[in-house]
Amino acid sequence: MKLQFTLATGAAALCLSLMSNSAAAEDAKPHCGLNTGQAATGAPIKVGGINGNAPPGDFSGGTDAAAAYFDCVNANGGIHGRPIEYIVENDQWNPELAGQVATKLVKDEEVVALVGNGSVVEMAVNASLYAAEDVMVMASGCAISECYESSHIVSTNQGPLPSGIGALKFAIEELGSTNAACIGFNIPNNGGWACDWMNEYMASKGLQGTSILMDPTAVDLNSVYLQALAEGVDTILLMLPAGPAIGLLKVAEEQGGREMFKWVSPTPLYEPGVGEVLGDYWSEHLYVNIELNQFDSAGPDNQNWVKVMDAFGKDGDRRDTFSQSGYISAKFFVDALLELDADSIDRPTVTKTIQDIVGVKSDLLCDPYYVGIADRHMPNHSGRMVVFKDGGFELVRDCYDIDTNYLEPILAQEAALGLN
Amino acid sequence: MLKVYGLFLVSGLAVGSLYALAGIGLVILRRSTGFLNFAYGAMAAAAAMVAWQVAEWGAWQPVSWLAALLTGIALSVLYGRLLAPALAWREPAVKAVATLGYMLILLGLMGLLWDDSLRKLSLPTDKIAVTLLGVRVTVTRIIALAVAMAAVVIMILYLDRSRMGLNMRSLADNRDHAALIGIPIVKVETLAWGISGALAGGTGLLFGSLVRLEPTVITFMVIPATAAAIVGRLTSLPMTLVGGLVIGVVEAMLTLYKPLAPLRAMTPFVIAGLMILWMQRSTTLTFATKE
Repeated sequence: MKLQFTLATGAAALCLSLMSNSAAAEDAKPHCGLNTGQAATGAPIKVGGINGNAPPGDFSGGTDAAAAYFDCVNANGGIHGRPIEYIVENDQWNPELAGQVATKLVKDEEVVALVGNGSVVEMAVNASLYAAEDVMVMASGCAISECYESSHIVSTNQGPLPSGIGALKFAIEELGSTNAACIGFNIPNNGGWACDWMNEYMASKGLQGTSILMDPTAVDLNSVYLQALAEGVDTILLMLPAGPAIGLLKVAEEQGGREMFKWVSPTPLYEPGVGEVLGDYWSEHLYVNIELNQFDSAGPDNQNWVKVMDAFGKDGDRRDTFSQSGYISAKFFVDALLELDADSIDRPTVTKTIQDIVGVKSDLLCDPYYVGIADRHMPNHSGRMVVFKDGGFELVRDCYDIDTNYLEPILAQEAALGLN
Repeated sequence: MLKVYGLFLVSGLAVGSLYALAGIGLVILRRSTGFLNFAYGAMAAAAAMVAWQVAEWGAWQPVSWLAALLTGIALSVLYGRLLAPALAWREPAVKAVATLGYMLILLGLMGLLWDDSLRKLSLPTDKIAVTLLGVRVTVTRIIALAVAMAAVVIMILYLDRSRMGLNMRSLADNRDHAALIGIPIVKVETLAWGISGALAGGTGLLFGSLVRLEPTVITFMVIPATAAAIVGRLTSLPMTLVGGLVIGVVEAMLTLYKPLAPLRAMTPFVIAGLMILWMQRSTTLTFATKE
């Protein structure tokens, strides 16, 4: 009797252990599309993606994450049995090449849409092509005005304008900033565009703003810093990619500038390697606006992004904001396609389905995502604020929106769609 | 106001010394081999990246600095021994354009080896500073200026006083005649490529620490360096030093004039252009052959 009891207890414990292991294994698996666990074998659906990966910057995080998610979807039933054939091209920061690869994807490969695009070049070159060919681009790494002011491009990332103004809003409300310098690249549709709107934002609050624009390859960052000093500002907004922003912070460290200004930045400084490069000096003195959620957020979409990248990402894939953004663009795209009948998927139906996306939610974004039919798109304009602390980042303000005149047409569009 | 000018003067001198240092490396090579090496910045960038990589592997810091110098020398001598001899009798412009190809190869290789992640190259002297006219100047910046000045003095003495220096000058004057009188051209040119490469390695190391560790940015440092070399008419080391410093100071001072501040990056081109126009007044034609 005692032996029977022991055996029964052992068997029960084994079962529980197996069940718990199986549940843990299930937990570690990403959830993608139909999540059937069966590979899709039907006729492929061609989808394009363009990134800019060459010196001076790598914008491939979005397409990397989209590729990983599509692979996961294909391994889990695809789009009602049809796999996604994801064709990614690199514009290499070359406008001529950007035009060529877009033409190849849109006209030769006849992709139904483009997903995960990230570039500083291709959107400016190809926006009119996408409109003329009625093909939608669900981008994820936009940094220039054309990306947000085009009828057929919609991005899940905010770009420098909302993120920079978000950082400034925090600086005004929490740090007491009254006079800010926006240090950006001397590129009209990037630094010039964002810093002009930053100045307009400061003026709308009765405060002072000034632009300090520099060449992307500028070596003399010391003078840029000294110019801010000469302007008498109390806040510096680093409207720069991470590399030059780090260079400027290093110069400021040399000059003992930590206490002389309030330091704020849009998303680019929210990057996994920043802590190691910055060191302790900037701890609790550098505030960064983040366009999506924190990398270690417990939200289901963020956790699924991590699992997708672990299971289907490649060794060199970046795990940055563009990656999060590429994942969520791809997920919204797949969810939209799953609404269609597999046989009816072609460019016109896909374009319409994407344009019909309204009010989908994700923990990676503060606000519901939408597309709609409009001459501009900026569904993501609310962000979070983190402070650099002890080599990492700590949340100091959760989701908040910005109030700039730039958003007027966007907010009107949202009102028309019943979103605010 | 004087204090503000002082701030920008010191800041400009600090950056200008880097331009000068790179320009000196270009002039040394040009004087003895006839090559204007547009790959100089890429060699410097590769040297800086190797230094970072070696330090990242946990090596003692001086070993990483040595690795930078050796990388500069190796990349320079590699080109000097393998490719340059085939172009020895070509026009100066052809020689210069060929180095552009080498620059693109090196830039591509660096892109392949090192992704776009954030990196930092720190030297112990970054943390030590003195205050000059209100600007904190790190010892690394002072080293850059001192090395540039020392390189000028040492190279002038070397070219004037040593046998090898005499050989280099002979080559610079007339390569054909130098060969005829038995000067070991390959040996002399290899040495010149090596010296220039060592300077590229050192410049890359300082640049990576003082400006930022990005291969593209360091590679295109060759532009102001070339402008500094043109101020020195591609022959004069002291004038190259002055040229580099002037470019750095003018670039910094333009920051104070708001309409031109965003256009500061054109300073090297404007100064080099003005210098070329000035040189056309005389018979010195920088890019022409002797014929």
